Amino acid sequence: MDPQRLSALQLDALSEVGNIGAGHAATALSQLLGTAVGVTVPRVRLLSVTEVSGVFGGPENLVGAVYSRLLGDLSGGLLFIAPRDDLLALADALRSRPVGTAKSLGADEEGLVLHAASVLQSSYISAIARLTELSLLPSPADFAFDMMGAIMQAVTAAIGMKADTAILIMTRFETEEIAVDGALFYLPDPDSLEVLLGRLGIV
Amino acid sequence: MTRNDDIAGPWATADPNTVVVMTGEFDVAEHPQVLVTPALGSCVGVSMWDAFRRRGGIAHVMLPSPADSRVVGRPDRFASVALPKLAAAVAGDSSVRRLVAKISGGSTMFAVDGTMRGIGDRNVEEVKRQLALLRIPLLAEDTGGTHARTMELYLDTGLVVVRSYRYGIKEL
Repeated sequence: MDPQRLSALQLDALSEVGNIGAGHAATALSQLLGTAVGVTVPRVRLLSVTEVSGVFGGPENLVGAVYSRLLGDLSGGLLFIAPRDDLLALADALRSRPVGTAKSLGADEEGLVLHAASVLQSSYISAIARLTELSLLPSPADFAFDMMGAIMQAVTAAIGMKADTAILIMTRFETEEIAVDGALFYLPDPDSLEVLLGRLGIV
Repeated sequence: MTRNDDIAGPWATADPNTVVVMTGEFDVAEHPQVLVTPALGSCVGVSMWDAFRRRGGIAHVMLPSPADSRVVGRPDRFASVALPKLAAAVAGDSSVRRLVAKISGGSTMFAVDGTMRGIGDRNVEEVKRQLALLRIPLLAEDTGGTHARTMELYLDTGLVVVRSYRYGIKEL
């Protein structure tokens, strides 16, 4: 299915899928952190696979990212992205120590961030799985701290083989007390769009 | 989300002598211009240089070759499409035989599953195959690994500078 040909109704439906996933993910994160987590209304963006490196500031903008492939009835990717300082704050919050304790993204901080992001991603896709009654599994997640452009290209490379356009369903998470501001992207593969929309009854 | 601007790219300074090549594109320039392509992950940056005319080009290729010929839109993101076009554009009305190439990129950003792991390696493989077909000698490469790179080509000396967050500056 060509993402460029999606109708307004179908785009709305994808945004709603993101909404439900994000709501569950925020609940999971707030349980993990013991603090309220706010979510923004998901935005569905259609981007050329060659333009994705421009999202989130310049292509050389350094970010921490946790990526997991979606396996099962739908294929796609889930990407969590946050700036370095926010990842350090997140690691401190998970260790129940004052924010500002962690100074660098070491193995311990990386592990904590990877764990939190995996919880976020798993709850996101389990909400979608329940909504669509499909069997979905996240692959083991991997962490990278590097240039934004390279990260976006790596995660859209699989889409680029088949289509010109990538769909990004983006939600932002914010916690008030510990200033963690991150974004979660759901990138459905073009092949699985039909399946997803079919289960929602709006092909 | 743009708090970290430790490595601000040259596009931020809007230097008129800098030619920026974005993903899936290629461009040609002549000294004193400098060619830059930012944030190569699994993508591969291919530079071709003509020492005599101090002219060169960079292609930022994203994928090896089209899975099927029905792919619409801009096909320059594929190595098998972009490299012959780049060689012809750099050579212009003179010979392709004078060109020399240097490449960088082709890393594995995330070791998540089989399909992802291969793309960087497959890109490098296809780029080398295309260079061999074009009979353009590959002088140097900085490929593989798990980190992102930015590549610059200086057209007076043919120097390629590879910048990365993890390893700093490397000259090819």
